[in-house]
Amino acid sequence: MSLLPTSVASDSSIAKNKRTRVIAVLMAAVGLFAIFVFAIGSPANTHSQLTFTPLNLTNAPWHVGTLTVATRWTDLVLGLLMMVLAAEVFFREPRRGVMARFGFVAVLFLLALLFWAARAPGPSPIGYVNVTSFLVGASATTMVLVFGSLSGVMCERAGVVNIAIEGQFIGGAFLGSMIASTTHNFFYAAVAGAVIGGLIGLVLAFFALRYRSDQIIVGIVLVTMLSSLSSYLNLQVFTPFPNFNTGNLAPDLPIPLLSKIPLIGPVFFNQSGFFYLMIVLVGVVSFALFKTRYGLHVRAVGEHPRAAATVGIDVIRVRYINVVLGGAIAGIGGAAFMATQGQFQVGYTSGYGYIALAALIFGRWRPSGAVVASIIFGLSVYLSYELVTYQVPISLYFLEMFPYLITIAVVAGLIGRVRPPAADGQPYMRD
Amino acid sequence: MQLELRGITKRFGSLTANDHISLTVEPGQIHSLLGENGAGKSTLMNVLFGLLSPDEGEILIDGVVTPIHDSGDAVRRGIGMVHQHFMLVPVFTVTENVVLGFEPTKSLDRIDYKRATQEIRELSHRFKLDVDPEATLENLPVGIQQRVEIIKALSHDAELLILDEPTAVLTPQEIEALMEIMRSLAAAGKSILFITHKLKEVKEIADVITVIRLGKVVGTAEPTMSEGELASMMVGRSVNLTVEKTAYDPGETVLEIRDLVVRDDRGLVAVDGVSLDIRAGEVLAVAGVQGNGQTEFVEAIVGMRRVEAGTITLRGVDITNLTPREALDAGLGHIPEDRQRDGLVLSMSVADNLVLNTPRRAPFAKCGTRNFAAINANAERLVHDFDIRTTSIFAPVSSLSGGNQQKVIVARELSRPLEFLVASQPTRGLDVGSIEYVHRQIIEYRNRGNGSLIVTSELDEAYALGDRIAVMYEGKISGVVEPSISRESIGLLMAGSSMAAAGV
Repeated sequence: MSLLPTSVASDSSIAKNKRTRVIAVLMAAVGLFAIFVFAIGSPANTHSQLTFTPLNLTNAPWHVGTLTVATRWTDLVLGLLMMVLAAEVFFREPRRGVMARFGFVAVLFLLALLFWAARAPGPSPIGYVNVTSFLVGASATTMVLVFGSLSGVMCERAGVVNIAIEGQFIGGAFLGSMIASTTHNFFYAAVAGAVIGGLIGLVLAFFALRYRSDQIIVGIVLVTMLSSLSSYLNLQVFTPFPNFNTGNLAPDLPIPLLSKIPLIGPVFFNQSGFFYLMIVLVGVVSFALFKTRYGLHVRAVGEHPRAAATVGIDVIRVRYINVVLGGAIAGIGGAAFMATQGQFQVGYTSGYGYIALAALIFGRWRPSGAVVASIIFGLSVYLSYELVTYQVPISLYFLEMFPYLITIAVVAGLIGRVRPPAADGQPYMRD
Repeated sequence: MQLELRGITKRFGSLTANDHISLTVEPGQIHSLLGENGAGKSTLMNVLFGLLSPDEGEILIDGVVTPIHDSGDAVRRGIGMVHQHFMLVPVFTVTENVVLGFEPTKSLDRIDYKRATQEIRELSHRFKLDVDPEATLENLPVGIQQRVEIIKALSHDAELLILDEPTAVLTPQEIEALMEIMRSLAAAGKSILFITHKLKEVKEIADVITVIRLGKVVGTAEPTMSEGELASMMVGRSVNLTVEKTAYDPGETVLEIRDLVVRDDRGLVAVDGVSLDIRAGEVLAVAGVQGNGQTEFVEAIVGMRRVEAGTITLRGVDITNLTPREALDAGLGHIPEDRQRDGLVLSMSVADNLVLNTPRRAPFAKCGTRNFAAINANAERLVHDFDIRTTSIFAPVSSLSGGNQQKVIVARELSRPLEFLVASQPTRGLDVGSIEYVHRQIIEYRNRGNGSLIVTSELDEAYALGDRIAVMYEGKISGVVEPSISRESIGLLMAGSSMAAAGV
């Protein structure tokens, strides 16, 4: 005898297909936009130049000059590629990887936009796209988002919403700059970031777990407080004593051999220690959450805390630990951000903490998903800054909206099924 | 394992939930703890499982005094609990659920799933608890999920199993399977403490019955005693288990439901083409295991949920997709499934709750202001007529017992002119006395020549009230039968068999 609701199951697959098709239509719309605006909108004689400097870190047996492509035809190919992907999703309805395809189309769209923006002759004062420096620049943004969304994974998997990531970024950046300026050592800066981020996490955990306050409100209060506090301290400390905020960029640590791979080398293997730390952390968090006993406890606490409690797991303790660890990760992210900018500036994290939360949702509360989402969002955020120099006739603010638009689409259930941990944000009460 | 409770007392403020309770469970024995909701069964189990600490008394395991401080302690001492609301994580696999908290690990804190799966296979083989260790829990039927709970307890080497109201969510066939499992566990020497308020099950399975009432042991009963005797022990007075009904004499059709389709919150079809007619002077009971679309069905009728397709007609008037207010005005009475969420505003007074659905109507409102004289007079009258036990009509309704809260709703709905009554799980969580009362009210309403639809997951209730019984399975009506049909046949219908297959 089976009580499995078969009719309901088949119904759910219908609902899923409907959503898959909505995504396909979105992808096709984006593709059509690329074709009609970017490809057909570029005069036939225009072309775009791609440069790759530095291509790698050696002195070049394989130096590539500039690559010149006809803008119209390139964007047409990109647009058609998007359409093909859209058609594949629409007709084949793949069961997995729909989101990844969607992300890929988003990246293709950004590329098409970039080619179009850099077309010559055209309105842009810069007639080329430096692919290497673009990717390196975007990797810095991506890195910060990965730290932030990993922090979110740690907290929300244990059932606590950490909306204070932005505040932890600010704290990490501020203290990180101070420590880096005085010790000239970015390792200490990272430790300082971890400590301050962890402390902010502790405050959040204290109110959320001890007093069962609304986690969103506590988080927002912390962000507001940290941003005001950092402005105040900036005025009181960094302005009169600029030596505490001297402007340091974390040194690049090229990895032998690997850094010499063309394009991949400069983008992935000639980065600061923060970047490598991020990669390690992604692996560690992924492993810890899904392979270990600790991870099983964390996920149980985030899904069904009472069930966890009945088998002797200390729900409150697990949550404290994870919120503090998550805060520390975000704090390191703040220090890492500072290290890519050189010094602390008031307000320059400009909402990265919230974009990281969006990446967490888009990535379905998984470290790997968060990385994919962070890459897409990182590219689009960085592009929105880059495009200013190309004098694109689209407002910067529309481009900045892009990650949020994707997130709204995700949260509204338009793209894929998103299910947060069942006890996410729910206070736990022992009886 | 032999377990002895000696003089266990637990007080919450002025309330004594357990008053010097003593009982002994022998190895291999199925010991039934029978009592009404609120008699103190759950408190006792929580004491035994280490979730509450007793104010007085001691727990002896195999003759040795053994204090139990927390649930981890209880598990280590060999006490396993099968919770009424499963303590299982829906998105985890069976294996992950079973090992949670007691994981076998390899290096680097990794869980040894291979070993865990192996152990689960052995256990499920040994005790005939068939389950796939790699299945995701939420995809399993409730009966199988319960097996996972049992395996979980056994995997911690439980010698005594506490089953807390284990049959509430099961079909009759699943209950039968559970009884088999309980017998085989007892045969293997495990002790079982079976908590319930269902007399039939106690009589069928128990070796020894301890009856508790108002926190005290009122005695030990033999399984051979009649249901009536057990019930009167449980309630403390003689109980009339059958409801007096006048002869079934249905009139014209009052409510007509045609091809109703309703979606649930996730957008899935929950009610899938239901057609029913309910006539004047009859109670149509809708039976079925919880979660087969009954909730959505009722909500659609009373205007709380959108009807996707199909029609609902009340005395020839189309009432499909009315707003709740329009449904009220059309004369639909509704006793909701979750009385504390949909039936009452807990922080408001008894008097206000009694006019909750007619606040704007004369005489309770006058020129847009509330007429307190009329509201209070109404409350005094209903509190008296419906025997609502409250300290005052101004007391917040949250201060009333569950049974009296339900009486407030019943009084409110039945005291106004109704065309039709829809009641969902009208006696859930109530004590026998209140159940008796609510049943009598519904039957009196029916005897006056009115139609009503009662949704229930208690088969006894469907039999007691229904002039006809419709069985709902996966959003469809799998059959409409007379109450003279056997429980076995209804059970088959509840599990999705066709009328023919169920032998109707």
